Amino acid sequence: MNAIETTNLTKYYDALCAVDNLTLSVNNEIFALLGPNGSGKTTTVLMLTTLLRPTKGSATVCGHDISGDGEGVRKKLSYVPQDMAVDIKLTGRENVRFFADLYGVPQASDRVDDVLAVMDLTDRADDLIKTYSGGMRRRLELAQALVHEPSVLFLDEPTIGLDVAARKKIWEHIRALRKKGMTIFVTTHYMDEADQFCDRVGIISKGRIAALGTPMELKARLMKDVITVKIDGSFVPPEVDGVVFVGSNGDEVSFTAENGREALPALADALGKSGCLVRAMSLREPTLDDVFLHAVGQQEEPQGFEYNKFRIMLRRRR
Amino acid sequence: MNGIVPYMKRDFTKWFRGRVAVISSLVMPAAWLIFVGLALPVQFTGNYLDFITPGILVMTMLSAGLSGGALLMFDKILGFLNKFLALPTPRSSILVGKILFITGRGLIQTTIILIIALLIGATLLNPVQYALTYFILFLFGVLISAFATTIALYLDDHDSYSAFNTMISMPLFFTSSALMPYSVMPAWLATIAHFNPLSYAIDAVRDVTAGGFPVLPLLVLLVLTGCVLAICTHVFRRVTV
Repeated sequence: MNAIETTNLTKYYDALCAVDNLTLSVNNEIFALLGPNGSGKTTTVLMLTTLLRPTKGSATVCGHDISGDGEGVRKKLSYVPQDMAVDIKLTGRENVRFFADLYGVPQASDRVDDVLAVMDLTDRADDLIKTYSGGMRRRLELAQALVHEPSVLFLDEPTIGLDVAARKKIWEHIRALRKKGMTIFVTTHYMDEADQFCDRVGIISKGRIAALGTPMELKARLMKDVITVKIDGSFVPPEVDGVVFVGSNGDEVSFTAENGREALPALADALGKSGCLVRAMSLREPTLDDVFLHAVGQQEEPQGFEYNKFRIMLRRRR
Repeated sequence: MNGIVPYMKRDFTKWFRGRVAVISSLVMPAAWLIFVGLALPVQFTGNYLDFITPGILVMTMLSAGLSGGALLMFDKILGFLNKFLALPTPRSSILVGKILFITGRGLIQTTIILIIALLIGATLLNPVQYALTYFILFLFGVLISAFATTIALYLDDHDSYSAFNTMISMPLFFTSSALMPYSVMPAWLATIAHFNPLSYAIDAVRDVTAGGFPVLPLLVLLVLTGCVLAICTHVFRRVTV
């Protein structure tokens, strides 16, 4: 039995399709749902945490159906939403104790001490949250979520708005939880974090999974190195074997190549012959960003902003 | 229903720590009691303080309820509600806990107002009368906090709600039987007062202080509270699917 299993999960906000026939299974891993803003990440999480009813399709969390057995689902999971919600007039310990009481955790005060220690908050446990930094508040939310030992942890943009050190710390904690056998489902739009810390990623665009696999697999699937060249003068895409022109951005043009190291001098020659001056060249292996752009296609800036649709979506979501 | 106690404990702790709010909410009813209750020259009764005290107690509960209505809306706007809804704790205890907290907070405030009234010369009642008074205030508190919570959840916006709050609190108070008996009201005001739910709570407390048992006002309050609770539950379910 997989921890999370979805079949044709679909959500419409009136005419707007937020999640489109999502079929997915996640088990005992850190799974990241990657996507641009408004691609359906949060909607998916809201459905899986029983905060939103799917329009169509079904899903189970630890074998409990999200539509039929909401309470069973909620017993198994913890959910940390995107906007940090901790009571600033309470201390760290009180905030965690509050959740322990809501969950009805046995030996609550020991358990609260434990999770505070796991999140490195013991020293500051009796200070008001007012005095906590953003990273500490996030860790406190994780402590709240862990207090009842969930099997599945849903984190919506866990590192948004945090500095580099705080992000790293959050991810280290997430990795440690994964080692203990917890299934962790995160949404993020930070590709580098997903690449570095997640076992498997699903790239979601307009409510559909566009690519699914481990970061390694996905990058390998592109099978190409990326070459970026800085040039002066008029540019005509040169014909070089095994090199494909991708696009230009100001005086920067990029190519992909099967074998970057060998293509580099050939490309420089060809560019020189075509009459432009090569200022700089760089070669890199594909990152998840490239996979993402490849899967999602060129991100078009929306032409007209459909305010009404957006408002309806926000209203429903809250 | 487990969960109600932790939810209430959270709200009470937060309330007690916001020291200014604890005191400031008492200033207005205390001022009414002292500056109007003691000073207004009226002909229809020998002890105006005794007459106005039930009105001020109900008014205290009214403003406690109306200001408390925003709490659940804020929990929703700030993202707390989503966290609570993802818990295995019964969802209804979020609403019940909130209504009981607002009512409980109102009862603490009315107790202080009652003590002030006694200190400045209101007549002491017997324990049964106080028990009945508290029951009526509790019932009215549930009514008004469920009503306020419903409106706030429906409006879903802090500015609109505070505008609504300002709009209804004074008219509700002045068109009730708080300040004068129906017999001395102009006919049009008496008619309005008879439809004002505040009047029923005030009349009920007044009947109790006069030594009677307010059957009709209590019945009206019970029915009203039942209806508002049903609507409130419905709205809460709708926003928390």
